[in-house]
Amino acid sequence: MANEVVDLGRRRFLTTTTSVVGGVGVVAAVVPFIKSWEPSARAKAAGAPVTQSLKKIESGQQLIVAWRSLPVFIVNRTPSQLDALPKQDSRLVDPGSNGASADQQPKYAQNQTRSIKPEWLVMVGICTHLGCVPNYVGEMKPEPFDPNWQGGYYCPCHHSRYDMAGRVYQGVPAPKNMVIPPYHFVDDTTVQIGVDPQGAA
Amino acid sequence: MIKRYISLFALAFGLMLGAAAVIAQESPALPAAGNNLRDVASLRRGAHIFFNYCVGCHSLKYMRYERIADDLGLTEDDVMNNLNFTGAKFGDPVISHMPADDAQKFFGKAPPDLSLEVSAKGADWVFAYLNSFYLDPKSPIGWNNTVLPNAAMPFPLWELQGVQVPVMAPAKPGDDPQIEKLSLLHPGTLTPEQYQQAARDVTNFLEYVSEPAALQRRSYGIWVVLFLLGFTFLAYLLKKEYWKDVH
Amino acid sequence: MANVFSNIGEWVTDRAPGLMPVYRKHMTEYYAPKNFNIWYYFGSLALLVLVNQIVTGIFLTMNYDPSASGAFDSVQYIMRDVEWGWLIRYMHTTGASLFFVVIYLHMFRGIIYGSYQKPRELVWLLGMLIFLVLMAEAFMGYVLPWGNMSFWGAKVIVSLFGTIPVIGKDLVEWIMGDFLPADATLNRFFALHVIALPLVLLLLVVLHLAALHEVGSNNPDGVDVKHGPKGNRWDPTKPADGIPFHPYYTVKDLVGVGLFLAIAAFIIFFQPTFGGWFLEHDNSIPANNLVTPAQIKPVWYFTAFYAIVRMIPSALGTAVWGVLGMFGAIVLLFLMPWIDAGKVRSIRYRGTGFKVALTLFVLAFFGLMLIGTDSTAELIPMFFGANVDVTAIENLFGRVMVLIYFGFFVFLWLYTHLGWEKTKPVPERVTTHD
Repeated sequence: MANEVVDLGRRRFLTTTTSVVGGVGVVAAVVPFIKSWEPSARAKAAGAPVTQSLKKIESGQQLIVAWRSLPVFIVNRTPSQLDALPKQDSRLVDPGSNGASADQQPKYAQNQTRSIKPEWLVMVGICTHLGCVPNYVGEMKPEPFDPNWQGGYYCPCHHSRYDMAGRVYQGVPAPKNMVIPPYHFVDDTTVQIGVDPQGAA
Repeated sequence: MIKRYISLFALAFGLMLGAAAVIAQESPALPAAGNNLRDVASLRRGAHIFFNYCVGCHSLKYMRYERIADDLGLTEDDVMNNLNFTGAKFGDPVISHMPADDAQKFFGKAPPDLSLEVSAKGADWVFAYLNSFYLDPKSPIGWNNTVLPNAAMPFPLWELQGVQVPVMAPAKPGDDPQIEKLSLLHPGTLTPEQYQQAARDVTNFLEYVSEPAALQRRSYGIWVVLFLLGFTFLAYLLKKEYWKDVH
Repeated sequence: MANVFSNIGEWVTDRAPGLMPVYRKHMTEYYAPKNFNIWYYFGSLALLVLVNQIVTGIFLTMNYDPSASGAFDSVQYIMRDVEWGWLIRYMHTTGASLFFVVIYLHMFRGIIYGSYQKPRELVWLLGMLIFLVLMAEAFMGYVLPWGNMSFWGAKVIVSLFGTIPVIGKDLVEWIMGDFLPADATLNRFFALHVIALPLVLLLLVVLHLAALHEVGSNNPDGVDVKHGPKGNRWDPTKPADGIPFHPYYTVKDLVGVGLFLAIAAFIIFFQPTFGGWFLEHDNSIPANNLVTPAQIKPVWYFTAFYAIVRMIPSALGTAVWGVLGMFGAIVLLFLMPWIDAGKVRSIRYRGTGFKVALTLFVLAFFGLMLIGTDSTAELIPMFFGANVDVTAIENLFGRVMVLIYFGFFVFLWLYTHLGWEKTKPVPERVTTHD
């Protein structure tokens, strides 16, 4: 039988060291598995910038293009739609997009029209409530959901409403304005979604 | 105790060496390609030749332009201006422009995708293949190859290598004459040494294409193995400490 | 902090009083003989590889496409486009081959120390079942990448069932769900590989361990420590030559695990195809039902059994004999506890006849592997010159190996049942430990 004195200190030290080193190894081994869930090269390639010609979008029309599998609304807003924007401010949650919605657009689109050029709205068409795609209701006429409708977006899922700049109205479930993606104008009639304008970070 | 671990390790190591020996003599007939995946300059030269001479017919359908740029240290502009002549997007895979039907008509079979050529055939084979084209009046395409007889591919690099013709070995009566070696009839724009290097570069590039992860795994591997050996040593100390109880 | 843990422990023990005894029974109060040597690492290593296969396998299914049109592309997608997908796949493919390395060594350990003898027959039978299921699991996994070797491997192995008289042809079509390996085959093999067989494997592993812990581990001396003197420093009623599995064998196995992982990592990071042995070159070509690969052979771990099929000629108009021979080679291993009626367990105290026979048996196994891997086609001209009839020499050599393989079992039965074996005296207590 063992009568020699066991060096408990050394034993504890070695147990701790081995456990820590082994633990580090396990954590390091877990990292590749977690990383394997990130978007793959194929998904990233599909999420590459999208270039879209604006020539065929008439005034008041909306075109939907896919960018990173997301629907992106490109709208050629009419002058009357643009005129209506400032008048909505009192009914909106964050009209200046500098409160709750401060991160919903790049700096260069943080303005009244939420765009680079006033008439062109480029926006990720995903409701900020639970991710449905809102319907484009561009005509300014009384609607069942709003007798004073000035054009905008109406989400079929939980009836959230946005104006023609994607700014959310008060009293609906959606908390924030819809997202403006990074984009820039390659030339007067071509827009590229996914890339900031030169000089803007 | 420690002796036994050493002997286990020696056993494992010996098995590995044995396996390596078997690996090494797998295709004894072919000379070694001698390419080196770590030689990025060679990979770039190989890519350049591939995209100027090969991609007209052969796709690399599993290889994205963007990945080539990342791994070979090229910028997007380098790749899009100097390698990508098909108008594909930066993130797209390398797809040849040749319609499959045309290829079928011209060559009798569609040119194979080369993404996994080196995985399937080995680097030495590809290197030897690129060195072994010769003029053959009996072939419908005018070319033949000693490594892959009756290859359906006309020799795309003849401008570089020049034109080779076969030298026949003296045949015994009744036997078909066998090709002894190939000799250069017309020199190409490259000297034989330069052409060897070019063929090696293409082979190198195709080996990279067949497994792009090879570049990463070797650089990680050494640290993983060292870490595990360190862990083993600690575990060994721990075991010795606990086993002081056992008599 | 320690307080929190002990409180949680008490909380659990209050509600599930049976858990702690289970832990004690299998870990801290499982008294294993103190003289385990190097051969005793492979059990815990097999468990480690099983866990590795399950975890990496689950992650592979997340990106794999089990269809004839998409499988091959999806494997390349994993290798190139998925972040770290190459590592996860190489861990799985290397793990598959190392699984068999470990299992073969584990089985060999059982044979040299007589671990299948009474009272451990059930442990051995369950282990052999694990081996059988593992072979099916590995074969189906090998088909999934849908390369040309996958396709033709599937075709050849499934065709083995076609040699069964009368029902063979229908059986083959039933297994494949088509007239060649096709989408239906791939889909059902995928389902079996990722869920059905792993569940069976896990169940068998649990039973294998439960059965072992009922009777206790054997050891290199083949001494029954349970029947030896009692009393050790942990418990006066427990075997004197036993030590608690935890912590003594857990820390010891940790050393084996570290070394094993270092070797595995070396392969994964530097030689993942292992020169075409773990991942075959021809499997880089997509499945092609019109062209058979130049060398069609199974992965290395099946080759010994596969060679038996090749070495036994057809007779009476049927090829079933070769297939019977192959299955017979495995069935005989199942029957080891009854074929071997040796008076002692460990090779240390067995007669010379056993040692010679076992050596020949191992050589025959390797010889059959040489044939099954087609290495003989290269080796024979190297030894006998280029102008010999390779097939004739190979057949002669192979049939001698087959005879030795089966002869081992016949000899062992005669040797032990007829009392020819002269054994050495077995000590009362275990002799050595480190």
